[in-house]
Amino acid sequence: MNENFLLEMRQVSAGYGKMTVIHDMSIALEEKSIVTLLGANGVGKTTILRTILGQTVLSSGQIFFFGEDISKKPTYFRATLGIGYCPEGRAVFGNLTCKENLQAGAFTLKDKRRYQENLDRVYSLFPILEERTNQLAESLSGGEQEMLAIGRALMSSPRLLLLDEPSLGLAPQLIQQIKETLKTINEQGVTVLLVEQNAHMALDLADYGYLIKKGSIAFEGTAMEIKDNEQVKDVYLGIM
Amino acid sequence: MEYILQQSINALGWGSVMALLGAGYTMTFGIIGLVNFAHGEVLMAGAIAAYIAMSVLGLPFWVGVIASVAGSVAIGLIIERVCFKPVRNVGMITLFIVSLGASIILRNLSILTLGDQLKPFLVPDFFAGVFTFGNLYIFKKNIIIFSLTVIIGVTLATFVRKTKFGVAMRSVSYDSSLSQAMGINTEKIIVFTFILSSILCGIAAVFWGLLYGYVSSSIGVEVVVAAFIASVVGGIGNINGAIASGYILGIGGALFVAFLPPDLVGLRPLFLWLVFFLILFLKPSGLFRANIK
Repeated sequence: MNENFLLEMRQVSAGYGKMTVIHDMSIALEEKSIVTLLGANGVGKTTILRTILGQTVLSSGQIFFFGEDISKKPTYFRATLGIGYCPEGRAVFGNLTCKENLQAGAFTLKDKRRYQENLDRVYSLFPILEERTNQLAESLSGGEQEMLAIGRALMSSPRLLLLDEPSLGLAPQLIQQIKETLKTINEQGVTVLLVEQNAHMALDLADYGYLIKKGSIAFEGTAMEIKDNEQVKDVYLGIM
Repeated sequence: MEYILQQSINALGWGSVMALLGAGYTMTFGIIGLVNFAHGEVLMAGAIAAYIAMSVLGLPFWVGVIASVAGSVAIGLIIERVCFKPVRNVGMITLFIVSLGASIILRNLSILTLGDQLKPFLVPDFFAGVFTFGNLYIFKKNIIIFSLTVIIGVTLATFVRKTKFGVAMRSVSYDSSLSQAMGINTEKIIVFTFILSSILCGIAAVFWGLLYGYVSSSIGVEVVVAAFIASVVGGIGNINGAIASGYILGIGGALFVAFLPPDLVGLRPLFLWLVFFLILFLKPSGLFRANIK
């Protein structure tokens, strides 16, 4: 197949322990695109992200990053290849300060100058984080923690950014801010794979999308195609 | 007042041993959720290695120190690879039981081969002697041990706070799989933590020998519970907390005994448990911020 896909999952079945959550799934991400995974709770969207990272049990299929087979590589190795991850639920390191969380995100970065550039970029995207720089992450508000989680994912200068429900439980203003941030990041060359419940936000941002149902792809297409599709409208009654 | 000061000074050496053991204990507790019953045997391994080097082979003190650290690190790593790594994801209780087994095996191996009687630890003349300060007697070895431990403590604190590795240690303690997603090789961090913890045991073993002039196959069981209590009191995974708690328990314990009537001196261990339960009632997360979720 093509080598111009940044990320490819080919017929991947994966899950936890003996339980398979996603079945025979094939996903391809073009470089510099924004792709969204839509679907109800529990269909396997998070499992897809974690499978890309290598944190699930891969029962069949392969995963390619820039054409290289990473199916058997450990998670930390895949991160060093340039995959950034913002997990769901504002997963920050509560025992570390704001700044230390960002440092943790930059762990794979060897270049001190690039670290400083990325830090400045995150602080300019989310100025409140600079204000709270020496505060323990667990003392931040929910919205601030989400910003921290996103900022941390950016610290390693990733080529692919995986985001799991970044808008969950956040005020509309903040959601708008995050939307713009993702747009900016994408314009700077980062490919984004976005899992989102908020279909409106996701389809506004995305070039392409996959509708996931019970661990399989029910529908895929451009954002426009998804918005026009009856199946999708069924799932997301009244949102569009 | 002077009596309290004198007792406290006398306990500086012992407090330092407790501080180092607590610090090592809390590291491995925080990083993989291990309540390590075999931590005392890592100490014992260093002590026995130093004994063999100095008293049996007649080698100089500095060789004994190296032997102690090497012995502790060797046993610490062997236990980690053989006993803990295979069951790391099974749960805290399994890890604890495995450590208990390792402790029993190692201690009895030592008793079987070398016996359980006290073994002499040759204290170099450099450590002998007393200073007087007004009415206070200050044993030279207490001051040396205390100073060295303070230096070690400050170095550790700087390392954990300021270096990339230190941040990695703390993030792995909090959330191991998220740390991996940041590109942190958690396996390396865990092994390194065990090595660091064992080094502290090796140093503590030398201090023990200097303070008491003896070591034995059973010194492990005498301290492992105190190390556990120090790590809980200090906040699990918090090295500074464990060091502070080690001194609180060591010096506090000495003061506790000093004020007991002579026939109740055997109640010394009670002090540890009093502090332990006090913390569990008042501030169960520990005096300092724990490094776990």
